Amino acid sequence: MVAGEIRQKLIDIVGQDNVLESEIDRFGYSYDSSYVSLVSGNRPDVVVRPLTASEVSRVMAVAYEHAVPVTARGAASGRTGGSIPLSGGISLCLDRMTRIVELDEKNMMVTAEAGVRTIDLYNHCAAKGLFYPPDPASWKFSTIGGNVAENAGGMRAVKYGVTTNYVMGLEVVLADGTVLTLGGKAIKNVTGYDLKSLFTGSEGTLGIITRVTLRLITMPKKRGTLQVTFRSLDDGCATVHRMLQEGVVPAAAEIMDRVCLEAVARHKKTPLDAQVQASLVIEIDGDSDAELAAQAGRIEAVANQCNAVEVRLAGSQQESDEIWAVRRGLSSAVASLAPDRLGEDISVPRDAFPEVVRRIRAISEKYGLPIAVYGHAGDGNLHPSVLCNMGDPAEAERVHRAVDEIFAAALAVGGTLSGEHGIGITKRPYISRALGEAGVKALKAVKAALDPKGILNPGKIW
Amino acid sequence: MKDTGKAEKMPMAAEDKLLAHAKGIVSQCDRCGTCLPVCPLFGARDVERSSARGKNAITRLLAEGGIEAKPEVLSAVDFCLLCKACTDTCPSKVRTDEAMIDVRQYLSERTGGAGAKYRLAGGLLKSRSLVGVAAGTLALLRKLGLAKLFPHGMVPEEYTRDHFLAAFAGPTALGTAAPPSGVNVTAATKVAYFHGCGMRMLFPAAAAQTLAIVGSTTTVMRKDNVCCGLPHLAHGMRKEFLALARKNIRLYEDADVVVSDCASCGGTLKHMADWFVADPAWKDRAAAFSAKVMDLSEYLGKVGYQPRRKVDAVLTYHDPCHLGRGQGIRRQSRELLALTGRFVEMAEADTCCSGAGSFHVDYPEIAARILAKKQANIERTGAAVVVTGCPGCLIQLSKAARLSGKFKAMHLSEVI
Repeated sequence: MVAGEIRQKLIDIVGQDNVLESEIDRFGYSYDSSYVSLVSGNRPDVVVRPLTASEVSRVMAVAYEHAVPVTARGAASGRTGGSIPLSGGISLCLDRMTRIVELDEKNMMVTAEAGVRTIDLYNHCAAKGLFYPPDPASWKFSTIGGNVAENAGGMRAVKYGVTTNYVMGLEVVLADGTVLTLGGKAIKNVTGYDLKSLFTGSEGTLGIITRVTLRLITMPKKRGTLQVTFRSLDDGCATVHRMLQEGVVPAAAEIMDRVCLEAVARHKKTPLDAQVQASLVIEIDGDSDAELAAQAGRIEAVANQCNAVEVRLAGSQQESDEIWAVRRGLSSAVASLAPDRLGEDISVPRDAFPEVVRRIRAISEKYGLPIAVYGHAGDGNLHPSVLCNMGDPAEAERVHRAVDEIFAAALAVGGTLSGEHGIGITKRPYISRALGEAGVKALKAVKAALDPKGILNPGKIW
Repeated sequence: MKDTGKAEKMPMAAEDKLLAHAKGIVSQCDRCGTCLPVCPLFGARDVERSSARGKNAITRLLAEGGIEAKPEVLSAVDFCLLCKACTDTCPSKVRTDEAMIDVRQYLSERTGGAGAKYRLAGGLLKSRSLVGVAAGTLALLRKLGLAKLFPHGMVPEEYTRDHFLAAFAGPTALGTAAPPSGVNVTAATKVAYFHGCGMRMLFPAAAAQTLAIVGSTTTVMRKDNVCCGLPHLAHGMRKEFLALARKNIRLYEDADVVVSDCASCGGTLKHMADWFVADPAWKDRAAAFSAKVMDLSEYLGKVGYQPRRKVDAVLTYHDPCHLGRGQGIRRQSRELLALTGRFVEMAEADTCCSGAGSFHVDYPEIAARILAKKQANIERTGAAVVVTGCPGCLIQLSKAARLSGKFKAMHLSEVI
């Protein structure tokens, strides 16, 4: 419990208005966008909303002194329960830290506080012709601190990489309140361990990220969109692989299987070509229309070699928006097929994509559960969505076994549990299988060194 | 309502069905957070419980037995503008407003009835004669210049067409009557007016202009209608809402078109059929009624109405939630304003002004913060007049106009 002296100290640091204690407020900071049940009782004892790194430092010093658990939170848009407080204590909500500290145009870097929304950061840079590429699906409402803490990915990863590829420096508050500054604007830097990369993706278990410095690139001048349909998912994947081997790197290459396409068709009440089993949405970018046209031509040639049914190049922004609307509307179209949907986030070597989808199909048939598969064909990260009714205990049991086998399938083809959502609570049971005992032991050793009292986001990852 | 005994006797009481219905809606919420940046209340008070996601989660918690039905929960779900901005942006189109209405009703029955102030207001609005008395009182207060003494814009100033023409009908407009409207309404179309409480009590001059405009296109049928029932529906008085609805349905059975110059009334009346789907005696009558309701701008667009005269003024438009998102009507008012003056679109024109029912009276500080953003957006257009189509919005916009001093707030019918 956070009461008496500890409570008063927290109020003294952030002010009464920024300490939330009512039952309903504590509930509000008890969930995220994962399927962890709302009635699970994972309430923080108190929600604390600091405005500055100095306040975060003082809050952590109090928490450390009294061994109070602290779970960092941004917008709670995570998919694996990373910001859910499992042991009560403090929900440390960083969403008031919304200052973009500096846009350094010469060095092409931006520095921002943890609570800045990724879209605001993107727009701030874009106004100066600079591009921050990572675009997790939540980029319009998630915070940059959360993106770094989860090492978020996105559709552009195939060409531009994920969050960690842009992190140059971090300000981190350690468990005891020490403020640590890591990395910086020097592009080449091998002074000591690369701790900024360690904290990136650490899911709030090693420290509280309060400020980030990110490198930027120049904004592509032109963008184009293609939609390609195939008689098999293999043909779609083969197209992406051959494109990449030939040096045509799309800015995004999203693949959808037949279950997804049927969901969209039903949602939008449009007919679906019976022979189409998969669809690929490709974004290309470049500096000129000519460059785009050349890329599109090469993609079309490759797609045709791979037996494409149809290649459609968007001729206008409107057409491009229509094509992307299908991909963006996918999540809700798929969700509307069943009362519940368990979306997973496995990641496999690019060439194993078709094989793991075949295995997922077999799992779907074995358990009698529809599984929609879509994902980032260019980087091997896919999101199988198990459509189910978790209210039915027998079905819930089947779902758990199916998910278990999906993870096993990913590992069997040389892949891993999570591409971009993190482990959090929901994938914790599988971590040993993915990393091995030695791997988990090494993680625990790092954790023990940085958080000896185990107060930072306890109960996560393993 | 002390009906705990009744609840024991009837475990599947009507209110449980309400909660089950609300649960059906909110369990579609993925809790992704897409709604956070667009919820005006989250914008004004950025804690989770203010957001649509927060209120949907509270509703689901209640439905799953994680929290008791108690006043704190009712006050949490009461803190919603029902503006539908969340639904508009939601990937799963979760109807938060509908869930809030259901769960308010459920809680008001479980926690001992709707709050006393809502009962009082609801009682007033149920009675035509009381609404009339209130209208007279407000007019008197205005005449005596006492309106400013009342807090929270309970007695908004009314900036009328006379003021407007005196200020903006410059040389270009002088003496040149607007061209004939060219309206082609067949003599057989019977058009009736729905005189909402807000228009009647707070903006009588605008209501008179509505009648004049519609009257220039056809012979308007006048009815002694009762309240549309939205205030009752929104605050857990569904029985009262249904009684009012039946009265209105009966009253307008001989009309072909029912014109409303209040977006909130119009939206409520158009959705009336939804509340009677399970009532075989009223289902068809309600559906027939809803089908003939038109917003003023919608009606004028249909008949090709031409504004009476052009003015030399910059005009901007605020979308009432119940018109833009509520009825999908956005274009018509803008087109009429573009024909009247120099129309300039404002940023976030369809963001709620916080004039949602009695919200601005219940939560004055939050409402003021939301309104300040709206005021800044209006000022940025350089408009002399912000126009809207709902008395609820007009209360708030008039307040913003007074604070700003740079623009006036007017109902569409006063301007065109």
